[in-house]
Amino acid sequence: MTRNVIVILAVVIVLGGLFFLLRPDTRAAGPRERTFDVSIEGGEMNPAEISVNEGDTVTLHISSDERMELHVHGYDLERSVGPGPAADAQFEADLTGRFEIEDHETERELGVLQVRPR
Amino acid sequence: MDVQTRRVAAATVALSFVLVDARPALAHGFGPTYDIPIPLWLYLYGAAAAVVLAFVPLALFSGKERDATYRYPTFDLFSIRPLRTLLTSRLLVGGLRLLSVALFFLVVIAGLVGLQSGFNIVPTLVWIIWWVGLGFFTALVGNVWPLVNPWRVLFDWAEGVARRLGYRDGLGLGARYPEALGIWPAVGLYLAFVWVENVFGGSYVPRNIALFALAYTLITLYAMAFFGKETWLRRGEVFSVFFGLIGRFAPTEVRVKDPNVCRDCGGCEAGEGCVNCYECFGRAGPDERELNLRPPAVGLGLPERVPPGGAAFVVVVLAGLTFDGLLETPLWLEIVRLTPVTQTLGVILLPALFFGIYLCFVQLSRLLGGEGMGLGRFAAAYAFSLVPIAIAYQMAHYYTYLLIQGQMIVSLVSDPLGWGWDLFGTADFEPNYGVVGAGFVWYSQVALIVAGHVIAVYLAHSTSLRLLRDPGRAFRSQIPMLVLMVLYTITSLWILAQPIVK
Repeated sequence: MTRNVIVILAVVIVLGGLFFLLRPDTRAAGPRERTFDVSIEGGEMNPAEISVNEGDTVTLHISSDERMELHVHGYDLERSVGPGPAADAQFEADLTGRFEIEDHETERELGVLQVRPR
Repeated sequence: MDVQTRRVAAATVALSFVLVDARPALAHGFGPTYDIPIPLWLYLYGAAAAVVLAFVPLALFSGKERDATYRYPTFDLFSIRPLRTLLTSRLLVGGLRLLSVALFFLVVIAGLVGLQSGFNIVPTLVWIIWWVGLGFFTALVGNVWPLVNPWRVLFDWAEGVARRLGYRDGLGLGARYPEALGIWPAVGLYLAFVWVENVFGGSYVPRNIALFALAYTLITLYAMAFFGKETWLRRGEVFSVFFGLIGRFAPTEVRVKDPNVCRDCGGCEAGEGCVNCYECFGRAGPDERELNLRPPAVGLGLPERVPPGGAAFVVVVLAGLTFDGLLETPLWLEIVRLTPVTQTLGVILLPALFFGIYLCFVQLSRLLGGEGMGLGRFAAAYAFSLVPIAIAYQMAHYYTYLLIQGQMIVSLVSDPLGWGWDLFGTADFEPNYGVVGAGFVWYSQVALIVAGHVIAVYLAHSTSLRLLRDPGRAFRSQIPMLVLMVLYTITSLWILAQPIVK
């Protein structure tokens, strides 16, 4: 009986300790202002992936070679973009996960917004 | 153009579509993932936990003799009067069967005549609600498939009509099922299903789903008439076999108290009590039936006669569940270059590889402690203990799909064909994407996989004790199985940690 208690305690201590040892402290960084220059050419978004942290304030300067309705899934953000001056989109990254950025009419995937949790 | 040519043309178009456009993101009908791959540190932590926890049952329980009979606590839900009245009422049972057949026809009709791109209930209903959702329900609550299986219901109805018309034997053609064939038909059909789900590029196109459903209906109804309904449901109806396997994990079971009822049944072993044999359950009188609560996963440890192909079916399911995750990893993309031919080879070779690895470890285990016992018996006994790892992986991989994509069903029921209807006033419902945060998803995925691993390790432990009786031999023989389980669990975690291929 005592042996079982020792085994279970040892396992809990080892696994618990390992968890706190390995877990990085992401809170230290704090929310930041992030700005991205995004260009869409021939249905490809550059950069293809926008990666931010939860709580960041994100600004996108979007230029495109064709006129389209840009749609960010999950955030339900829509912007008319096209040739000419870049369109701006600003939002608070409060929803974590992986969200597709698509051309709303054709539902073609252009790129991905990835919001990592804290 | 007549129907025939049009169908051939459609198939050609679909095939060329596959050949040109084999994007993995569209390879199955699940839509986009909202999950971020688990971070490296968490993957390493999960792997370390799997290694440490694999040896806990050995440390806790080794050296103890175990009773050779397999017993666990149960509680009969039918002993509560109102619950029994409710669960056995014709209204509930008949209602569920009717609903299931209605949904089946909805899939066929919406698939054939509904809108083919965008708004159509079929892909969500079939892939998310039925395949993922019913799979989860079966593992976590209980196996209701034998009750609602639309093919069984349709066959019962057709047989009722045939009897009324004067055919005394119903629809039975009375052919004898070759017992040596075992459940190999189900193995073959499951491989075909995995191919349709993952490789066939049009598995999310409503019309394809409807055509596959119709083709499967023909096969199933004909085979049921040919070999007998219960025989085919047990041997060849792949979803009955699949949900039956997953249902062994469930915390509920049906049981027949009187062993005499089961004497002539080929499917169950009356010695340990007749558990989850729906054929016997159907035959038993109302007082002989039990609907039991039981600890989860104990059904996977039940000693039972495993039909030929039984161990292979389990391994093919393990490989199949892993396959759709593996398809999305960069490594797979690198190896197979994603052409339909190599993908198809993958569907066949991956289960073969799994089976080969499995047999190697079983052979090792037999060498270390199972002198004088056949490889086949060993392989069959241990196969079930791996199932919790596959179920845990399936849940970790798909529960966010169910929670987020599953919400689409709310708007789809109002406009199932995509014709702009609004039957229930919910057509404009927008899914809530923030149900679960990505951080919670990470921790829950790793927790699920590690929990499945612990259950599997415990099952392997009790299987080895039951099989070998002698604790010393059991101790030695289970070590290769533990190593195999650690490897399988770490592979599951690895897939979840892989970047998503666009």
